Amino acid sequence: MSTECQKTTAKAIPSTKRVTINNADHMPHDYSTTPGGTLFSTTPGGTRIIYDRKFLLECRSSPLAKTPPRGLPTIPGVTSPPTKEPNKKTLNGEVVNKDAADSSSAGDDAQFEMDI
Amino acid sequence: MNNKFDALKDDDSGDHDQDQSSPKDSEKVKIEEEEKEQNTTKKKMVVPGAGEHPLQYNYTFWYSRRTPGRPASTQSYEQNIKQIGSFASVEQFWRFYSHMIRPGDLTGHSDFHLFKEGIKPMWEDDANKMGGKWIIRLRKGLASRCWENLILAMLGEQFMVGEEICGAVVSVRFQEDIISIWNKTASDQATTARIRDTLRRVLNLPPNTIMEYKTHTDSIKNTLPRVCVFL
Repeated sequence: MSTECQKTTAKAIPSTKRVTINNADHMPHDYSTTPGGTLFSTTPGGTRIIYDRKFLLECRSSPLAKTPPRGLPTIPGVTSPPTKEPNKKTLNGEVVNKDAADSSSAGDDAQFEMDI
Repeated sequence: MNNKFDALKDDDSGDHDQDQSSPKDSEKVKIEEEEKEQNTTKKKMVVPGAGEHPLQYNYTFWYSRRTPGRPASTQSYEQNIKQIGSFASVEQFWRFYSHMIRPGDLTGHSDFHLFKEGIKPMWEDDANKMGGKWIIRLRKGLASRCWENLILAMLGEQFMVGEEICGAVVSVRFQEDIISIWNKTASDQATTARIRDTLRRVLNLPPNTIMEYKTHTDSIKNTLPRVCVFL
């Protein structure tokens, strides 16, 4: 039985990150980084959309990032599990025929199968 | 192969030899028609979806594969390279990336290319004509991690070289893998130096990894690289 409960107060999602540096050694050695990493940054000459690696990896777990993309071509061994049935002998990539399972795509999809 | 340079040719990422050897004519015609349809109808506008994080640029994934021992002519190189799809946001990127095999698991002589929308992953594209690339040769086992770090840095605008970045390539070869990053102006040494520094920072490469800078015209001529850098 849990005996300790603590109330937490709700906080707004932070839009800025404050990192205090007291020691010159903590400054990054690379001119293209800010201490503690960047969210969005304004760079000389205008605003550029910058994301650090950690942020990009965090986005991967969002539900928006998980559905299969529309129009993903079926390339055995590349975009779908390897298949053992080549429909045609190909040289290095020929459009063969549409994958019946991928019916959500528009008519101008290109899909092809290759011998692995 | 009776010429040692033939071996080198095949090892370079994104390069194609000027040798002959194209598919038989009837097949070639069919390939061209179908290729045109595929490569020109992919011009739908890609935009970030609601609630998604936009990227500074839109990008396109491409895939190419070559039957070993068959050198690719310029025309068949263009035919051998396929678009996988384009994206405009972080979330759309992950949708593609999560449904693609990691480079370390690719078989054969294969490449993934990730280039800004509108730039073909070929040196003949206007954006690439005066350009070059940093190439890094990796022993087997490192490509997946390094490719991921490379493209996350590129998509996240970590290189800080304005418009200079064109795209990145990972090349799976017989006994090594190669990653490279292409920029528009080979002669812009400030840019190439900054790209090199960013690569060091973001890739976590093994010590003593060599990075080479090659102009695309040098690659075509198969001359020795201009600059070699030891990390």
